[in-house]
Amino acid sequence: MDDVLVIEGLRKRYGTPPKGVQANDGVDLRIGAGQVVGLLGHNGAGKTTLVNQVVGLVLPDEGSITLGGFDAVARPEEARRLASVQAQANVPITGLTPRRAIDLVGRLRGGGRADVRRRTEHLLDALDLGPWADVTAEKVSGGVARLTAFAMAAVAPGALVVLDEPTNDVDPVRRRLLWTEIRRIADEGAAVLLVTHNVREAETVVDRVTILDHGHVLADETPAGLVGFYGSEGLEDVYIDLVGSGEHGSENAEENVA
Amino acid sequence: MSALAIHPAPVARQAGLLLQWQFRRMSRFLPLLVVVQILLAMTTVLGYGLLVGTPPPEQALYLATGASTVTLVMVGLVMTPQMVAQARTEGSLDWMRTLPVPRPVFLGADLALWTLIALPGMVLGVVSGALKFHVHLSLSPWLPVAAIVVSLTAACVGYAIACLLPPQVAQLVSQVLVFVVLLFSPVSFPASRLPGWLAQAHQWLPVQPMADAMRATLVSDTFTMPTRSTIVLAVWCVASIAVATWSLRKRA
Repeated sequence: MDDVLVIEGLRKRYGTPPKGVQANDGVDLRIGAGQVVGLLGHNGAGKTTLVNQVVGLVLPDEGSITLGGFDAVARPEEARRLASVQAQANVPITGLTPRRAIDLVGRLRGGGRADVRRRTEHLLDALDLGPWADVTAEKVSGGVARLTAFAMAAVAPGALVVLDEPTNDVDPVRRRLLWTEIRRIADEGAAVLLVTHNVREAETVVDRVTILDHGHVLADETPAGLVGFYGSEGLEDVYIDLVGSGEHGSENAEENVA
Repeated sequence: MSALAIHPAPVARQAGLLLQWQFRRMSRFLPLLVVVQILLAMTTVLGYGLLVGTPPPEQALYLATGASTVTLVMVGLVMTPQMVAQARTEGSLDWMRTLPVPRPVFLGADLALWTLIALPGMVLGVVSGALKFHVHLSLSPWLPVAAIVVSLTAACVGYAIACLLPPQVAQLVSQVLVFVVLLFSPVSFPASRLPGWLAQAHQWLPVQPMADAMRATLVSDTFTMPTRSTIVLAVWCVASIAVATWSLRKRA
């Protein structure tokens, strides 16, 4: 499988020692075409910093990011061409309807008018957004706004799709539709980097899981591999055991889990 | 649509789409923004008129032409930082920066929008000034160029302020600039009225050359654009575009 995203030895610190935070401390990560990789970690583990470095919003202190064969650190404009992003915070689209916002982003990303229209219709239908498709954003719920933001990232997805907490505020029925669409994006050939706290539901969709803790990679394995290794009932239990058992209890895991 | 075959739209189309995005996003407040600019321009003319009574001819020319400069400068230096600071706070600026759009195109689309918002106020400010003070205008063919350069420079300086300073500080600075531009800049009155040190400072700041450019193109048979003002304005224009573009490219 071709690697779409290769991250090696990535370090990023905010502020100077002894103050400040080491947000990423030697992160390695690979995602192949057609793969969904779940990036898990507690609040402040360095997930969003990692994502922001991939798309050229944050400059790494050390390490390399190769996206679609390009050096994404040296050429952030290529990274932005190859990656589409759903940000952690909802992008305000007041004044726009979901349909218009999805359509405009698709065309900005280079999609042809007819292609984008078809794809927009598909996403609106697949995510059951039809009743809100032509309602201005200030009148839609947080969940519908979140799904619209997902659709804005998925309408012309590129080689890498970065989804930062896509299920926030989304109701259980539509979350299931959302997971199906995320899987579909990967099955159509894109690599998907999925940042989420929704471990239980993500388990059914991701091909691999990377767990971050204080900027370190604690584990990088398939969900089944992790569950089997730890003899747990599910991925959420593994995650809580690794991260939730305390700041120091996870150090051995890095050695044990490939 | 193939997931991997993404080629960004041509620059001109991206600029049009971005302009459409920003325009629609502001659609609810756009009429209000335009009205505020018109009121600002007319208040500058009529309010100063109340302060000074019936001014002598040269002073009348300053008051009549000052409103257009004030409108363009206010939109650029005051409204742009406030809007950009808001976009930074709510996270939309960072998300927009993840789109495959060259930074100058962002800037161009935003500046076009700000210029369009300022245009009605600028025109009505000039007309009301000419009527109120019985000023005879002699428009130069360079007027559109002067208006665009003034608007572009002011908005780029505003953009840079908003991108480089923390959002709350940027909003505060923009509010202070309202007073500086309205009361302590030689826009609606000659620089000779200012204290020496302030007049000297304005020799290097962009507001005086902006006012010179507008006066010289609105009343071209009375005022000329001093060479020094042309150079200072050109330097500010180029430098502000460079800094605004750099601030959009800057990575944390």
